[in-house]
Amino acid sequence: MSEEKKESGVLAQLFQTFFAKHWPVWVGGLTLGTLNILLFAIKSPWGASGGINNWGENFYKLFGFSNFESAASISTSLYGMLCVLIVVGAFAGALFSKEFAIRIPPIGELIKGFIGGGLMAIGATFGIGCTIGAFFSGVPALSGGAIIFTVGLFLGVIVALKYLMWEMDKFPSFSSGKSFTFLAGTGKKGNWQIWAGWIVTAAMFVMAYVYSENNEVMAWFIIIGLFMGLICQRSRFCIVKAFRDPFMTGEADGSVGVMAGLVVGLIGFTAIKYFGIGAEESSIRAREMTWVFSHFWLRAIIGGFIFGVGMTIAGGCAVGTLWRVGEGQVKLWAAALGFLLISPISKEFIVPPIIKLLPHSTAFKNYLPDYLGYAGAFALVLVIILVWYVFVKWNEKTGKFSAY
Amino acid sequence: MENKIDQTLDCKGLSCPMPMMKLAKAIKGLSSGDVLEMLGTDPGTKSDLPKWCEKSGNTIIREDELEGGVFRFLILKK
Repeated sequence: MSEEKKESGVLAQLFQTFFAKHWPVWVGGLTLGTLNILLFAIKSPWGASGGINNWGENFYKLFGFSNFESAASISTSLYGMLCVLIVVGAFAGALFSKEFAIRIPPIGELIKGFIGGGLMAIGATFGIGCTIGAFFSGVPALSGGAIIFTVGLFLGVIVALKYLMWEMDKFPSFSSGKSFTFLAGTGKKGNWQIWAGWIVTAAMFVMAYVYSENNEVMAWFIIIGLFMGLICQRSRFCIVKAFRDPFMTGEADGSVGVMAGLVVGLIGFTAIKYFGIGAEESSIRAREMTWVFSHFWLRAIIGGFIFGVGMTIAGGCAVGTLWRVGEGQVKLWAAALGFLLISPISKEFIVPPIIKLLPHSTAFKNYLPDYLGYAGAFALVLVIILVWYVFVKWNEKTGKFSAY
Repeated sequence: MENKIDQTLDCKGLSCPMPMMKLAKAIKGLSSGDVLEMLGTDPGTKSDLPKWCEKSGNTIIREDELEGGVFRFLILKK
């Protein structure tokens, strides 16, 4: 805590509002949901695993693997760049609040990060999408597969949480031992972080401006990605937390924050799809089917389950990993590395032979309004979110399903 | 004034959820009136811990920022 003697100015107070304390998670949820609508209005909704897969393909391309020669370079991939900007935005958010530090955990945690990242990659390539594409965007996109993916996530999280508790009981040494922290911004000496935050932010605006000449959509993705990363870091928006905490400490704030984002997204996405907003060059049907993937139901439930296990072990879903990378959490660096290294291999070699064995009836695009109409699909998703809300709030009070 | 400390829990370098899981487990093993010292570096703990204490009835009796990005909590078990 810095002891300010003189009254700080209005701008300094504004800065304090954003960066002195963490934001409530629901503030993060609402703002991220809103930006997600904006992404959809401009192009297509938020996704993270595709971008990380793009990083991985570029990594293998760099080493001359012929399978990935056709991969778009990160600087021209909208979602590859969106992921980069989420890392940078979180980096800026952490710097502004002097929370940035390189935090190196014990070796066991690094291994768990890498394995968790690898599992997320397999879950995302098998289930077509991660907690963002197939959940935070997929559910508002009125995709039946997204709801099944969510069920898979829940099951995976519960199993992996049981594992973590078992590991902590039987092998406590795995998550303890030597750890290191570098470049922390404690006290007055840490004020360099605030300056670094301004430099990073300004650089990103310059980059967006440079892009805007030839690629306006990318310029917008850069700015929105920057804000998304910053919002995630400040509100500690974490989808693992939303699924896990009710079964761990019983805390419901993380879940409610995610639900807030889902509801905002639901309203915006439904309107965009209903009116076919932004469908200029494509058909209205294609606009309706945006972010409705051919994974209903078997691909979704298996993919969701594997992803749920992976994200719980890693301690961050695709986006939770990205923003913690920006904050300097080295366990999540290992998770991101596992994700980007395994993802292209899984997509290219592991998943296709398995998918060939699946009948079409277990992996098709299920668009809820086709069955229930727009009003019915909207109401169904809203009721599911409401039931989830009642469950986590009731559980928070009674602790019936919480481990601690 | 120095507080009495019955147990120290080192969560430096760990990220969510390990610090909260270790904390909940450590508190379980203490008796009422004991004080747990927790050291950590994950910014998330700083908002998770007070919320959990409020819910579980344990009390934070002291919170410090140490050198090198480490924070310290002293928690009194209910």
